[in-house]
Amino acid sequence: MIAARNLRKEYGDFVAVEGSTFEVSEGEVFGIIGPNGAGKTTTLKMVAGLVEPTAGEVSVAGYGAGETEMRKVLGFLPEESPLYEEMTPLSYLNFFADLYDVPGGVADRRIHDTLDRLDLEHRERPLGDMSKGMKRKVAIARSLINDPEVLVYDEPGSGLDPLTTNYIIEFTRELGEQGKTIVFSAHNLYHVESICDRVAIMNEGAVVAKGDLGELRAAHGETKYHVYTTVEVPDSARENGRYHRVVESMDAVDETREAAQAAGGEVVDIRTDESSLEEVFLNVAESQSPSGGR
Amino acid sequence: MSDEYASPDGEESGGWFSDPRVTVARRDVASLSREKTIVLALLIQLFVAAFSSFLVVGLTSLYSPGSVSAGEVVVGVSGEYTDEIQRAAAEQERLRLVVYSDEAAVREAYRDGNLHAAIITDDSGGRIAAEVIAPKESIQTTLIVDKIRTLLEAVERQERVARADNLDRSTIPLPGTVEASPYFGFTYTVLIPLLLFLPPFISGSVAVDALTEEIERGTLELLRIAPVSLVDIVDGKAVGMVLIAPLQAGLWLLLLGLNGIEVANVAALLGLVTAFATLVVVLGLVLGLVTGRRRQAQLLYSVLVLFAFGTLVSLPEHPATTVAKLAVDSATTGSYLHLAGYGVAAVVGVALARRLAGRTDPESL
Amino acid sequence: MGGAGEWLRTRARNATRIAYWEVTKNAGGVDRRTLAIASLALVGLGALAPLAVSHGVALDKGIYRVGVTEEDPYYEPTFFDSTFRIQEPSSAAVRADQQEVLVRGTQVREYARTQKGRAAVAELRSTVDSYNDRLMRAEDNQTAAYPVVVNLTYVEQDAVQVVAPQGRTTIDTSQGDGEGSGGDGDGDGSDGGGAGDGGGDGDGGGDGSGSSDGTGGDGDGSGDGSGSSDGTGGDGDGTSGDGTGGDGASGTPEPPGDADSENVGGSSFTARLTGGSVSGAPSAISPPFPFRSLVLAFVFVLPLNFIIQAYGSTVLSERINRRGELLLVAPVSRGDIIVGKTLPYFGAALGAATLITIALGGSHVSVLAVVPIAGLFLSATFLGAMFARSFKELTFVTVTITVSLTSYAFVPAIFTDVTPIALISPLTLVVRDLQGQAVGAGQFAFSTLPPTLTALVLFGLGAGLYREEDMFTQRPIPLKVLDALAGRIKGKRSVGLLSAVLLPFVLVAELLVIALLFALGEASIPFILVAVAIIEEVAKSLHVYAGYVHARFDDRLRTALLLGAFSGLGFFVGEKLALVAQLVDLPELPAGRAGLSSQAALNTGLPLWLVVAGLLLAPLALHVVTASISAVGARRGRRAYAVALCTAVVVHLAYNLAVVSVYV
Repeated sequence: MIAARNLRKEYGDFVAVEGSTFEVSEGEVFGIIGPNGAGKTTTLKMVAGLVEPTAGEVSVAGYGAGETEMRKVLGFLPEESPLYEEMTPLSYLNFFADLYDVPGGVADRRIHDTLDRLDLEHRERPLGDMSKGMKRKVAIARSLINDPEVLVYDEPGSGLDPLTTNYIIEFTRELGEQGKTIVFSAHNLYHVESICDRVAIMNEGAVVAKGDLGELRAAHGETKYHVYTTVEVPDSARENGRYHRVVESMDAVDETREAAQAAGGEVVDIRTDESSLEEVFLNVAESQSPSGGR
Repeated sequence: MSDEYASPDGEESGGWFSDPRVTVARRDVASLSREKTIVLALLIQLFVAAFSSFLVVGLTSLYSPGSVSAGEVVVGVSGEYTDEIQRAAAEQERLRLVVYSDEAAVREAYRDGNLHAAIITDDSGGRIAAEVIAPKESIQTTLIVDKIRTLLEAVERQERVARADNLDRSTIPLPGTVEASPYFGFTYTVLIPLLLFLPPFISGSVAVDALTEEIERGTLELLRIAPVSLVDIVDGKAVGMVLIAPLQAGLWLLLLGLNGIEVANVAALLGLVTAFATLVVVLGLVLGLVTGRRRQAQLLYSVLVLFAFGTLVSLPEHPATTVAKLAVDSATTGSYLHLAGYGVAAVVGVALARRLAGRTDPESL
Repeated sequence: MGGAGEWLRTRARNATRIAYWEVTKNAGGVDRRTLAIASLALVGLGALAPLAVSHGVALDKGIYRVGVTEEDPYYEPTFFDSTFRIQEPSSAAVRADQQEVLVRGTQVREYARTQKGRAAVAELRSTVDSYNDRLMRAEDNQTAAYPVVVNLTYVEQDAVQVVAPQGRTTIDTSQGDGEGSGGDGDGDGSDGGGAGDGGGDGDGGGDGSGSSDGTGGDGDGSGDGSGSSDGTGGDGDGTSGDGTGGDGASGTPEPPGDADSENVGGSSFTARLTGGSVSGAPSAISPPFPFRSLVLAFVFVLPLNFIIQAYGSTVLSERINRRGELLLVAPVSRGDIIVGKTLPYFGAALGAATLITIALGGSHVSVLAVVPIAGLFLSATFLGAMFARSFKELTFVTVTITVSLTSYAFVPAIFTDVTPIALISPLTLVVRDLQGQAVGAGQFAFSTLPPTLTALVLFGLGAGLYREEDMFTQRPIPLKVLDALAGRIKGKRSVGLLSAVLLPFVLVAELLVIALLFALGEASIPFILVAVAIIEEVAKSLHVYAGYVHARFDDRLRTALLLGAFSGLGFFVGEKLALVAQLVDLPELPAGRAGLSSQAALNTGLPLWLVVAGLLLAPLALHVVTASISAVGARRGRRAYAVALCTAVVVHLAYNLAVVSVYV
């Protein structure tokens, strides 16, 4: 559905995005994570056709980025919700329905359905007088006005109170379940983990890792094995009458088993401990820049 | 964009410029000059103004009736009262009469372009009926018609004296003519007031922008984090905008001086400009605070300033007259009293605005 | 074919949609309270008007100080004129510049030897004069009080040879035959009937030309010989009937239906403004306002200044807080958005122009001539709003646009009757149209084409900035300029195209320089040559530099030379298209000829091949060479570009000097 190949974007001397490549298939929810300044927003804008790549190509639903046909199947939600403050939600949404060529009756129904689903009450109040959460809901309603196949959401839940954030993430998940193809960025990794099928990790302009969470864990995570033995083995600590050793590979587990048997004991329990996306992310980030962080 | 207040301006403010108001004012003025288009705009404005004032002043004097040096006006005369006209013409400068014996000849000469204008006189119930024919649609027409009017007025005076017996009252003889610029009055009573009131008006308008823009962009909120109050911000914005007006007005006066128009009482004039700038900037900022929206505030600002300027007609001396009298060096005690009044009004305005700003909750913006 | 139609339909639909929303969106932009206060203030202002009138807005109140005593005859006139402030006569005060005029009896004893003093005396003279007139109005014997009745008419001359007859002679031309005597008989005295064309009563006058035998205009003879010298000898001695107030009018040879058929009585404002007939006492006639064109120009340009305020505001507000970002992802093109947002304002401008035209009695030519001016105002504002980074900046930019474009529009229009250069402003066409003069197609094209093209180019450059990276970021202005230019560069060839497209700017800039400097006469030529060289060299190379900055070209010398050649060629072709300038007799003026020097080589008596070479090859070579010089510099960065540009200007200047010295 979405294919990005070797995307590169320069701003003067500054390289914002460098060689990003990823694909998103139909109906997939794809997350892009990374620290601030990693190039997430620029990448999404290039996907949406807002920013022209310096090099590389993007196609969405078979159309080149920025083509009119492509825009018709796309719903975009920018990081900030810039709205025409003097308009009311209804007039604002009608304006965009008009731009997207949505017939009047369909638009009316869709606007009210979406606002109902989003639980937005005040529909005739100027947008300027609304809270951030309400504005974000209107912005989301706008991104759905053309019933797009592809949604590009930049930090849909950021800057809002936790309740609204959860509400919006939940709504996004529902959209995914309805079969929309969604690309979205976040730095709240919990949200990504909870709704994404696949994830790309960006750092300093480049996609440094991508795949589904399992693959990423395998590649960058540290699965830890907690081996509990009845006798003392090297590097073990006594714990509740048992000896506890943490190792990082199955070979080490086998080695521990042999050591225990050699010492006359046995392994009583092995537990695996998978790393969270956050740990994967930190690992990737750390391996990228020795200084860590940004 | 939103990092305007996060800019390291604050670093220096720990030094000798520790007053937050100064910091805000400096930031505002600095942002004006940093936005180089403004400097460019001012320069272009100045250039165009220099050019156009040169042009207008130059042109008006070039084509101003009476001061034209491009030779004389040739007028053909015929008819009964040719003698009277000739007598009056004797005292006119740069006017030459050509007398024709009959009307048709004058008309032909005019039509052929040998004359600038023609006067055909006739008797009309005891009056001199003068038919004047002048060319159509040319800037010279003005000069020609003016000359002829002067001539015929002289004839009129002459005739009134001649017919004094039939009149109950006698006219007062006119004082002699003096070579004077016909645009002297215009320059001091219209041009200079206009040029001096323009900068305050622009300042107020920019003050509206300066405040509403921060409100609309949301950067004003950031100030709540900084250790400055809303009053400081309003103060700072006011100072910057108020000071620009006399600066600009001073430039205009300098320019006029270069054009040979002397302006007296420059200090008093600049004081008056400052007072007016203060008043309108205060109005602009208050409107910005109250409405919080640029469009509203700008509309109200222009309308209210116009209205206020209109109401000042009810003063004994309209500010434009005060400016004219000061500039032409005919100021009276009344003029200075008015000036002082504007100063007091400005101070009161600032005090009121500060109180309003003090009571405004920044969060409500 | 159908594709093109469909494309056009889509464009039109999208643009009208955005225009519709632009209007409705902003209609709600101002709340009721604001509107209420604003209208209250306006009503209040209206209510103040009578007060102002009764109060008398005497701006010149008390600017002259006159020393006069109550016994003096001048006391009363000065007492009633607020311009004067009465003081005790004092010679010391006059010397100390505390008093301008000192009168004793009916004599100005002393006056300050300054401009002000002289102005005061002149003012005193006119004050006394109008006092006398007031005095006379109260007389019973009005014939003696107003012994002179003037009837002023404006009549065109066949030839204007402002050659004064020699000496003050009485020429007796009593041949009195029908031939040659001016054919416009006086109107009869029948209460203002004979106004304008034809006779008042009946169509008595053969108002056609010819008919040399003349339908002898006795009595109500009226025949006007509309322009032909052999008009009828209608020496109708139209004795101006009753004579009071002078309401007799005479026929003027102008096309029927012109303005002055409406009113001849006295000095009505319209009559004064349109140069119709005026009659009355000598003081009642007033010369036509010399800057009528200025006033008219102002009326046409004024609404534009308000419209661009709103327009700039709406364009910039799209950019504030990234609000316009979402329009950019909607399935409409940039062009649609720009056209759509501009349309309402353009419509408003045209509407205003139409109303003004109707009110002033102009024709469609006036409206059409305002189109390029409106386009120029809007496009400049659009570009300005794309460049401005804040509303503050926009306010300044708008003021600049207002000032410079208003002067571009109406400073030349002042010269409507004086010089064809005035045609560089389309407003001149408006003035001509309002004066009832015909406007030729060539003149119309010369006048409207450059500003129209300039407006299109400005919109094009602004459109180059209508993208995410320039709209929502605080990019430095010079970089934005380069962005705007580079946005139009697609390949090496587009450099040539851009050179040609930028030509309207060059033309307007050059014509403006000529207009600015032509007052200096011959002395202006060197300045013009320098200015022209700079303008043209910058125009030929800036976009090349922009292309290099944006890494559109490779670093080879060959490329740079090629770019220079394309740029020079493009400029040359564009310049040849600009031969429109020859449609008016602009090159008749020395200044104009210097400005358009590379085309001034006709009628020189040189061999044909040399003329052709001079006309075509030499300028082409010049443009290619200088453009290549700066292109080579542009390849190496900013400083090298600056040096190369200066070199190019010097080369250009040397060439121009050579041309001028050969041909002029």
